[in-house]
Amino acid sequence: MQLFRYVVAAVMIVLCFPLSLLAAEGGEYIAIRKEGSGKIALALDKLDAPVKEESRLAQSLDTIIRDGLDFTGLFTMISPPLNVKDNSSRDNVVLNFGALDSVGAAVYAGGAVTNTSGTISLNMQVYDTSGAKLLLKKTYNGKQQQLRTIGHAFCADLVELLTGKKSIFGSKIVFVSNKTGFKEIYECDFDGHELRQLTNSHSISLTPVLSPDGRYLAYTGFSSGRPALYIRNLSDGKTLAVGKSGISIDPGWRNSRELATTLSFEGDQEIYLIKADGAISRRLTFSKGIDLSPSFSPDGNKMAYVSDQNGLPQIFIEDLQSGQVNRLTFSGRYNTQPSWSPAGDKIAYTTWENGGEIDIFTVNIDGSGLKQLTGNSGENESPSWSSDGRMIVFASNRKGLKKLYIMGSTGDSQRPLLRSDGEQIQPCWSLFSQ
Amino acid sequence: MKRKINGIVILALMVTAGCSSKSAVTAPEVSANQAPSPKITQTVTLPTATAPSMPASPSGYGFDQWQTGPLGDVFFDFDSTVLSAEAQNQLKQNASWLGNNSLNRALIEGHCDSRGTSEYNLALGERRASTAKEYLVRLGVTTSRLETVSFGEERPFDAGTGENAWAKNRRAHFVMKK
Repeated sequence: MQLFRYVVAAVMIVLCFPLSLLAAEGGEYIAIRKEGSGKIALALDKLDAPVKEESRLAQSLDTIIRDGLDFTGLFTMISPPLNVKDNSSRDNVVLNFGALDSVGAAVYAGGAVTNTSGTISLNMQVYDTSGAKLLLKKTYNGKQQQLRTIGHAFCADLVELLTGKKSIFGSKIVFVSNKTGFKEIYECDFDGHELRQLTNSHSISLTPVLSPDGRYLAYTGFSSGRPALYIRNLSDGKTLAVGKSGISIDPGWRNSRELATTLSFEGDQEIYLIKADGAISRRLTFSKGIDLSPSFSPDGNKMAYVSDQNGLPQIFIEDLQSGQVNRLTFSGRYNTQPSWSPAGDKIAYTTWENGGEIDIFTVNIDGSGLKQLTGNSGENESPSWSSDGRMIVFASNRKGLKKLYIMGSTGDSQRPLLRSDGEQIQPCWSLFSQ
Repeated sequence: MKRKINGIVILALMVTAGCSSKSAVTAPEVSANQAPSPKITQTVTLPTATAPSMPASPSGYGFDQWQTGPLGDVFFDFDSTVLSAEAQNQLKQNASWLGNNSLNRALIEGHCDSRGTSEYNLALGERRASTAKEYLVRLGVTTSRLETVSFGEERPFDAGTGENAWAKNRRAHFVMKK
């Protein structure tokens, strides 16, 4: 009995200790989680502006950082206590870690903004509150029009420091919109800001995909009158049309030098590997009927794709070395749009349900662990993973017109990505971050 | 809206000498509100050796407000590339017209209704166009006079929803080219 009480007490201490910090000293990152919540309790202090004219800059940066960190879904934002700073001297701020600890903050971040003849400097400091330990001290510089870049550079450092994973800050989403009356390709930042039109074909442009290094954009375009593969070098804007008879549909990058797409120049629709310079290097599929929508494992050795070889479309996985093909999906009769997760363990795809809805599912690559992410919300299409695998962008007509939405990788926190006229479809989230 | 498409099974037609029959043609039994059952691999039922010499008329099966040329369109069941008896009859008329007007060329556009996912529909549209082309070529039309393209669900003829609209959008559409 005595021993039992002791064990219970010990367990209670472990469970209840509010800020059990798991500091991986000397490792790549510092894992800080408030026990049970799964989120990091962050006290983000208002940025100081030593000169009055800079207070607006500080406010803007504050909003950028706050919104950015909020978007990740990684943090619980905690208001810093009023007495967080023990003295008012700007040069030697002493933090009241006891106060931070008592409001439940595991991490404190604060800093100041200065403007030196047009160069904005953001000086940030991050502390582990329980150990009163400085985790990060860094200055981010840039021009006034780069406030988002400056703020997000800090966000990226903070997320990478605390999670050990590359963050989504600096990543892009490309997609198709018909806001001009034509289907053109656009890009925006990971959070829906900085919308930019990439094609002006006055035609139909579809299924944009960015190469993993961000140098190339590939898409299917109707500029020539028939759907063809276009590869644009984003550094010089030069666009290459892959000249083959027949049509081309829905490209997917295998790595930054090679992509695959469906071509029909040999009669049947098959998937081919194509170099970034447009040369066809290898035919990958040999089944009769439709083979479509290649999405590769991170190592490039396996390809998920859609085939109707058994009648209706299902998702298959081909081992590119052995040529062996296995069917992945058995639940649902119409499964398309596979998207291989960046961690390599899962594939997201869409099922056309009996009621006419389209829903997004994830499944492990061995076919186990089927999970439905959307439901009772119309047509939900074209899932694409964020580079950290924590989120999925998709298109949905749940509120009428098709628009882009974001959700957590388990289907949580579904919300619109951006406000823009017309429909938005076929998003692709970049693996790189600039 | 929820029209039940009758499952059509056209048995393999062993046709007269000179033609080799290939296999059965089936359309999936499907209600508009249901994901369809798997279809059997599609093949074309071969035309009889004597194509009708009946001239195309601007009305009837293959003609509607979107079809103004002498060649009539052909329509498909949901997720199907199978040519129905009416479709085959229309293609025979089209072949006959092309036979009498040998300077003309045609573009065959494959179209789909808006259901399903757009990439798959782009592929399906191409198969509809090429099925129609293949049939015409077997009737003797020179392959170089026929071009195909797919618009998938991108250029619907009727922007509405419901089986009436969808049925109009599942077609191989003929456009004359000089």
